[in-house]
Amino acid sequence: MNRFAGWSERNRWIWSALGVALLWLVLAAATARLTLESLSGVAQSASFLVLPALGQMFVVTTGRGNIDLAIPSTITLAAFLSMNILGGSDAMLPACLAAIAAAGLGIGLVNAVLVVRLRIPAMIATLGVGYVLATAALLANRHFTSYVVAPSLAFVANRRMLGVPVMVIAAAAAVLAAGFILRRTVYGRLLSAVGQSLRAAELSGVRSGRIIASAFLASGVLAALDGMVLAAHAGGAFLEVGSPYLLQSVGAVVLGGTLISGGSATALGTLTGAFLLVLLVTAMQVIGLPIGVQEILEGVVIVLVLALSGQTGRARRSGATR
Amino acid sequence: MNGAMPPAAAEDGETAQAAPAASPPVIRLDGVSKSFGATRANDHLTLAIRPGEVVGLVGANGAGKSTLMRLICGLTRPDSGRIAIGGIAVDLDHFSPNAARAHGIRIVHQELSLCTNLTVAENFMLEEPAALLAPEPAWRERFGRRAKAQIEAIFPAAGLGADEVVDHLPIGQRQMVEIVRAAAGDGLRLLVLDEPTSSLDAGRSAQLRRWSRARAAEGVAIIFISHKLQEILDVASRVVVMRNGRVVADEPASRVTVTDLVERMGGHPHEGGAPAGSAARPDGEALVTIAAAAGLADHAITLAGGEIVGLSGLDGNGQRDFLHALLAAGRRHDRAITCRAEPGFVSGDRAGEGVFRLWSVLENIAIGASVDRPPLARLSPRAEQGLIRPLLERLRLADARLGANILDLSGGNQQKVLAARALLRGSRILLLDDPTRGVDVEAKAEFYRLVREVAAAGTLVVWYSTEDAELLECSRVLVFRAGRVITELRGATISAEALVGAAFAGEKPAATAGRAGATHRRPRGARLAPVISLIAVLAVMVALNPGAASPFGLDLLLGPALPVALVALGQMFVVGGSEIDLGIGPFAGLVSVLAATLLISAPLAGGAVILLAIGAYALMGTLIQARQIPSIVVTLGASFVWTGIGYTLQPTPGGSSPAWLAVLVDWNLPFLPTAAALLVLAALAALALDRARAGVVLRGFGNDPRALRQAGWSAVRAAALRFAIAGSFAAIAGLSLTAVNTASDINAGDSFTLLSIAAVVIGGCRLFGGSTAPVGVVCGAVTLSLIGALLGFLGISTDFNAAVQGALLLGILVLRTALSGSAAAR
Repeated sequence: MNRFAGWSERNRWIWSALGVALLWLVLAAATARLTLESLSGVAQSASFLVLPALGQMFVVTTGRGNIDLAIPSTITLAAFLSMNILGGSDAMLPACLAAIAAAGLGIGLVNAVLVVRLRIPAMIATLGVGYVLATAALLANRHFTSYVVAPSLAFVANRRMLGVPVMVIAAAAAVLAAGFILRRTVYGRLLSAVGQSLRAAELSGVRSGRIIASAFLASGVLAALDGMVLAAHAGGAFLEVGSPYLLQSVGAVVLGGTLISGGSATALGTLTGAFLLVLLVTAMQVIGLPIGVQEILEGVVIVLVLALSGQTGRARRSGATR
Repeated sequence: MNGAMPPAAAEDGETAQAAPAASPPVIRLDGVSKSFGATRANDHLTLAIRPGEVVGLVGANGAGKSTLMRLICGLTRPDSGRIAIGGIAVDLDHFSPNAARAHGIRIVHQELSLCTNLTVAENFMLEEPAALLAPEPAWRERFGRRAKAQIEAIFPAAGLGADEVVDHLPIGQRQMVEIVRAAAGDGLRLLVLDEPTSSLDAGRSAQLRRWSRARAAEGVAIIFISHKLQEILDVASRVVVMRNGRVVADEPASRVTVTDLVERMGGHPHEGGAPAGSAARPDGEALVTIAAAAGLADHAITLAGGEIVGLSGLDGNGQRDFLHALLAAGRRHDRAITCRAEPGFVSGDRAGEGVFRLWSVLENIAIGASVDRPPLARLSPRAEQGLIRPLLERLRLADARLGANILDLSGGNQQKVLAARALLRGSRILLLDDPTRGVDVEAKAEFYRLVREVAAAGTLVVWYSTEDAELLECSRVLVFRAGRVITELRGATISAEALVGAAFAGEKPAATAGRAGATHRRPRGARLAPVISLIAVLAVMVALNPGAASPFGLDLLLGPALPVALVALGQMFVVGGSEIDLGIGPFAGLVSVLAATLLISAPLAGGAVILLAIGAYALMGTLIQARQIPSIVVTLGASFVWTGIGYTLQPTPGGSSPAWLAVLVDWNLPFLPTAAALLVLAALAALALDRARAGVVLRGFGNDPRALRQAGWSAVRAAALRFAIAGSFAAIAGLSLTAVNTASDINAGDSFTLLSIAAVVIGGCRLFGGSTAPVGVVCGAVTLSLIGALLGFLGISTDFNAAVQGALLLGILVLRTALSGSAAAR
């Protein structure tokens, strides 16, 4: 038992994975309507959450309460951008990818400059940038023309390969890459150091500004890419397409076991956290809860998990050692 | 090694006494010990302080004086021994700062614990914890009078007003306030003054000593700690000398001289190892050159590889700044200081700037090898172990513990890990910032050996230590005063006596007081900025459309600003505690829905539910404080709860306003638009709350929560009150929303969250807490809500509303950073 406590401390994703399994069993027993088919539907919806949640995870891990509140507007703006550029055909795909990447990087860069250079608290910087982006999306909406989805994007967003949604494969690949970066590269180690103690990291020689900036860049790019495929999935861009991802990106990160105080991240946990959150929402829909109650429960779950897990940023020492 | 101490001296403190012998000692410590790790900070210490005594307490850096004071004041609990106050034994398990205070024990700490954003009188109030909402309308006058009278009693003609904000006072006056505040309370029996005169000029210092003697004559006991030995001999009736955690001398002040004291404080037994100076290698390559232009010394200084350079002097005279200047020069080009390599750094503040507490020992060391590698290079645990193993052998760190969490190691071993990290990076310059703080004697000895080895290999070691004994390890010592190197000791001339002598020589307190006298008074213009920008926006609007100037036009323009201003005032109180509330807009929306639905159908229940909602808000504040979780995520989650409830109650916009509510906003003054009058009312209410005792305490918490907790205020209660206030303002905003619109919409409040934060920023509040400006915030909120109308006047699409507001928020913050940055550079 003690060994499990130690293991689960190092692999915090297990709790959200257990949550998924439990919720799934309950739902399967309670209603006969959840099948393997609907599971892959849930997985597909979760995949759209996984991308921005991974970006949020990188930002949160830089510590000191850093958070990216510009994610929803980035998604919305990217959705409009991609639809407008592509106009329903694959001819402009390279240009579209370049534009989306540039938009994501640009937004990330602005956030990074505001936070790192000008020392504006991340939540306020990204909140302000988010509002500016919301206006950009409004303007893009005025010029929105095409509801035809380009075939290549439709493939990624809606098709299956060997019965598995392509988007799920893409999200899994992103999680693997993020996990690799976090656990196996120098960057992952320095990111964790900066998140645990900015002061200690700087005195050890870490160029903390670059590390923090790169996290915002990653978040911007991932959100922008997500907006692109989300538009393809929804068959068009609309103004509210990004808004659920404000709370849910934070929620997936927190539920997955990444420390909200920074310094320790788990990509796998963000995947299972996203899955749990989407499953929860799906379950509430299946049960037929009104939308208002769904929102209440979503908020309560995230606050409760945060309050109960005691993520105070202090190492829970027993687990980490034995 | 402690056996080298003269044993007789530590026996008992109650030797020659001139004080009234009949009364029991104010405090008596009996065989008290306190260890940090394996360091005995206080070692079987016995001491009694009688009423009417002024005890001068002296000792070199690291002798254990501070620990002793913390024990007396209940800040630290001893490991063993007994403490009796007024002849009655104290239950050490329940001896807290509050208990000590109740016994009439007060302390003036070396670091000031004043809230810099509050006035002198307000700081006096904080010293007397009371119920947060206890009604006492005249407290301001009471504490103002007390402050004035007491300042006059101790420091006559101080020229210090009770209504001055501490931030505007020079450091010397701040120290006076700190002293007077502690000394002023009723029932004072023992006053501990820890370096009270470090920032006072000679005249003020003499006043303090005169007052101390007078109070002692009335029966109060005073412990006076100072590095200024002349002062000690002048003020004290008895002098106690500490060394290595023990009392080594305890005599009437009349029988000792400054020379005696220096001799007794110094004279550390040098703990083995090579004789001092043996590590000096004058032939080493010059690694650091500091030009005279750097302003650190009168002449250029060159530090070479192989040297161990100690930084000495009284605490806080620029030694640490020197280390950080070297570190910065190693990273970026610096004109005055040249570093040949980027230095490695080992800090003695292990918890604050040393260890990565989530990591194992291995990872804590290995990062030293990672920092200079490309970011996407792969980590190889095996290769790292290979690199680290020889180091561990050198450091005598058992490598079986490599997988253990860093915090499971003793302080000494943690320190070795930090040294290993710096060595692994392989820099030829090593900076040590008081590295052996709280480390036991053996670990220290090993650390010294390591430093010698490192230097012998050609590395330059620059070593700041608060313990004079350690500087004997150095081949060269730079002595600092007021940020500059004043003397240099080399090789054989480095001795305990020489160090103490150099540090104490020619102390000129007035010089430091003058230097540190800079104040941070903000220009008046900055505080008027919100008002000016509001007037400017209004003027532009009137110029564009003269109709806007009529009372009716103004009412129309200002009406929508009322709920924004109210929400912004709520947000201001949250920001004042260094928190942020992302759910305050939706909460106002929820109350608006409640007002338009439940409050009409069942007024009593509706009112109760709204009060309940405010209670939930307070609970949220409690949760944030008690569990130490980020307010941003909690309030974000809560915003979904508020919206969800509102949506469930009223899925589509509708409802109506209760008749009595509509009446509240629908009255007329002949000369003033109704909306303007209501805005003024809101600002006045917030201003009154902000200036009430509770508001002042909240601002204190925003400024320095540690000081407030130390004074005995409850952080959780303050957080609950803070969020209750925020919730109340948001609730009133919700009610006004319903009253103005005569209907409700759960989404109506959503935009208020950003607007409220922007208004707080525009209003002139800083984001790191403790700063409030109700009038500015209301002006900011009105400006922001007018911008929509202004864009309309200019023929710009309202699509740009959000962008303009967001850009305005960021622009002001950027501007403010730029301004404060250039001010700091000057």
